[in-house]
Amino acid sequence: MKRGFSSFHPLVCFFYYIGTMSVLMLAKQPLFLLTAMLILLVLNGVQDSGRGLRQWWLGLVLIFAGCLFIYPFANHRGTHILFYFHGNPIMLESIFQGGITALAWTSLLLLFLSYNVIITPEKFLFLFAGVLPRWALLTMITLRFVPLLRRRIVEIESVQASKGTSARRGSLYHRAKAGLLIVQILLTWSLEEAVQTADSMKARGYGLGRRSRYIPYTFKKKDSVFLMISLLLLALSLYGCWLGDLVMAVQPILETPLLHGREWLFYVFALGLVGLPLGIEGREVLLWHFYKPEK
Amino acid sequence: MAFLQAREVSFRYPEQTEWAVQQLSFTINKGDFVVIMGASGSGKSTLLRLLKTEVAPHGERTGTFFYKGRLLTDYAADTLAQDIGMVFQDPENQIVMDNVMEELVFGLENLQYSTSIMQKKVAEMVHYFGLEGLLNRKTYELSGGQKQLINLAAVLLMEPKLLLLDEPTAQLDPVAAKQFIAFLRQMNEELGLTILLVEHRLEEVLPLADHVILMDQGSARQQGSPRALAEAMSIEQFKAYLPAATALALTFSPRSALSVLPLTIKEGKRWLRQQTVRQKPLARKVEVKEKAPVLQATSLDFQYERNGIKLLNQLSFTVYEGESFSIVGGNGSGKSTLLKVLAQVLNPQRGRVFIRGRRVKQPDPTLIGYLPQNPKLFFLEETVMKEMEHAASLGAEEERQERMDYFLEVFELSPLKEHHPYDLSGGEQQKLALACLLLKNPVLLLIDEPTKGLDPETKKHLLHLFQRINKEGVTIITVTHDIEFAARLSSRCGILFQGQLTAIADPDTLFKGNAFYTTAINRLTRNEEVAEVLTLEEAEQTWAIDTP
Repeated sequence: MKRGFSSFHPLVCFFYYIGTMSVLMLAKQPLFLLTAMLILLVLNGVQDSGRGLRQWWLGLVLIFAGCLFIYPFANHRGTHILFYFHGNPIMLESIFQGGITALAWTSLLLLFLSYNVIITPEKFLFLFAGVLPRWALLTMITLRFVPLLRRRIVEIESVQASKGTSARRGSLYHRAKAGLLIVQILLTWSLEEAVQTADSMKARGYGLGRRSRYIPYTFKKKDSVFLMISLLLLALSLYGCWLGDLVMAVQPILETPLLHGREWLFYVFALGLVGLPLGIEGREVLLWHFYKPEK
Repeated sequence: MAFLQAREVSFRYPEQTEWAVQQLSFTINKGDFVVIMGASGSGKSTLLRLLKTEVAPHGERTGTFFYKGRLLTDYAADTLAQDIGMVFQDPENQIVMDNVMEELVFGLENLQYSTSIMQKKVAEMVHYFGLEGLLNRKTYELSGGQKQLINLAAVLLMEPKLLLLDEPTAQLDPVAAKQFIAFLRQMNEELGLTILLVEHRLEEVLPLADHVILMDQGSARQQGSPRALAEAMSIEQFKAYLPAATALALTFSPRSALSVLPLTIKEGKRWLRQQTVRQKPLARKVEVKEKAPVLQATSLDFQYERNGIKLLNQLSFTVYEGESFSIVGGNGSGKSTLLKVLAQVLNPQRGRVFIRGRRVKQPDPTLIGYLPQNPKLFFLEETVMKEMEHAASLGAEEERQERMDYFLEVFELSPLKEHHPYDLSGGEQQKLALACLLLKNPVLLLIDEPTKGLDPETKKHLLHLFQRINKEGVTIITVTHDIEFAARLSSRCGILFQGQLTAIADPDTLFKGNAFYTTAINRLTRNEEVAEVLTLEEAEQTWAIDTP
């Protein structure tokens, strides 16, 4: 059954993701972003035993490396020249800038991975069905199509490969043609099947009028507590960003990446917000670790 | 007052000259279990759809339906959506949602029930169906049988008064199909639900029916009690539809000599005990000729995931020239996977496949023709003709044309030349795919579940076709659930169990004496004082019964 962060009300979870997203985008402090990224990395590992990470690790590494390396080669503004590369100066400023961007993007992707685990399509539908009922259902059905199409294309590929039509073998022209044919079957077949799905929906009264919702979620006390804490931390973090305490200036003068005095306080607040779900998951782990059934 | 009544209903699809449903009239009482049968294309599905307003086809229609004494068209849309439920043929395509729970409440949400009522209804239904374990599963992870049960439960949650089912078990294996039909019986007997079922598996459903309608070319050729229908069907055209007991009894005794026409295995056994069966001298030809192996598989290992189940485990077997080999086995035992490995579509982790002594590593359509379960995935072109031209791209022009003409003729595809492959019926699609495979002159044909969803007549036709191809020298390996089919087609069979092909033997040795893995006729003749037979043909060949 659902435990930990996913047992909280969808609205609360959704709010956490929006809040954290805005902080990650506004805060430009490398130390904070680095810690936040590590926290999110651990959170992903705990939430689905690292399944998402294993699937996406290459993407994460590419985004991180891409931002880190492209910036210094593209941006030559600044005053601290480190060395020359093919006659172009490489600046310390742009390395910091690249590092910040890399950390921010990687953290955002990690946050989105966690979002995918927690905000399931049904929760998404629950959140938006009231506002945009038709769109929400459409989104939901489209989401169902993604794994469905993936499974179908594997099936078509194997059948076509047995006939000698394969997008994995032969010349480029041959492969491109085979690939197009496979996609064409996928579409024709899926459209046919979709007509049946539509029939099944109509047969069960879809489209007669407004739908009610089977809502398995209730707003509990722990939800309001969580919401209040996250609101407070979000407000403080945003204040910190506005003050500049969570922003490392690169231009015109390069600041040090280390933290000083009051900045530590906002660092703790912002990390508190990012780390809330990990705290909950951690508590859950401890709870079960020390849980002794009475004999 | 009749519960449901049709008065001279006719229907014609747009731009068609033939009527899909013609002058159809029937009366159904509340609580009846009605079975509608007939060949594919006889208008059964169209009839069901006409009754379900939401999915009714467009076209020209005359005549009227009365539901509870009032015109069907007089009812409000939401009453009809709730009162008349419908389950379709394909288990997968009916599912809308991602998650079982969401799927179950989908209809209730459309009817704007409140959460507490939904909860109560779902709790009750889930318990009744024993679906507790499935509630939090993803719908696509379920087996076909489970999916169809979910579809049934989702419709029943809306508490329909009339349940329409369009070949709901066609895509299921025999065990799941039996379970599904058992549920229908329970619904009918315990809740008094009125059921209208289109079905081919008469063996199971005929004994349950109160009323049977036999459709032929759009009109009701005959209707009445199951026994009356069985009698009417004893003519050649419908013989393939009859339950084993009826077919067997009618083969040996004229109708006039039977006091009761047996429908079930139990009644069949009773009939058999009254007969004195003499054994005719066995005319069966025994082939002991040593033949060269066509396919050799040695120590195949296969699993989809590293930590997954080992579907094939050190599997080895040999198939000889000109043989017809059948593989049977439970759901998920890896039968289809084995075929894919043999066709080189999937690579085994260990082991090798040899064709005529040469190792094959890549799919080669000139050696192996692979016919998948769903022939739709096979087609790439717009018309039947183009599809065949595409398949026949090898060889000299004249020879190609000649072969194409030959297959169009033998497979009766000539009239369908300009049709889109997707517009053909299931059986016709099978035949087209088969023709395309054979155009490449393969040594070996691998066929996955060829009889799925086919009506008995089409099945018989396909069987003859396979037998003919086999006789012409093509070696065939079939994977099937249909023991009857396997017994009639194959020279040897094997059961796939725990990743290995066990008990490879000729059908007689393998199936006779089994309780489940055998044909209905064999079950009927088991433990009786007669020689066991597997098929009706075998009985005809080896039995002699003196008619009084």
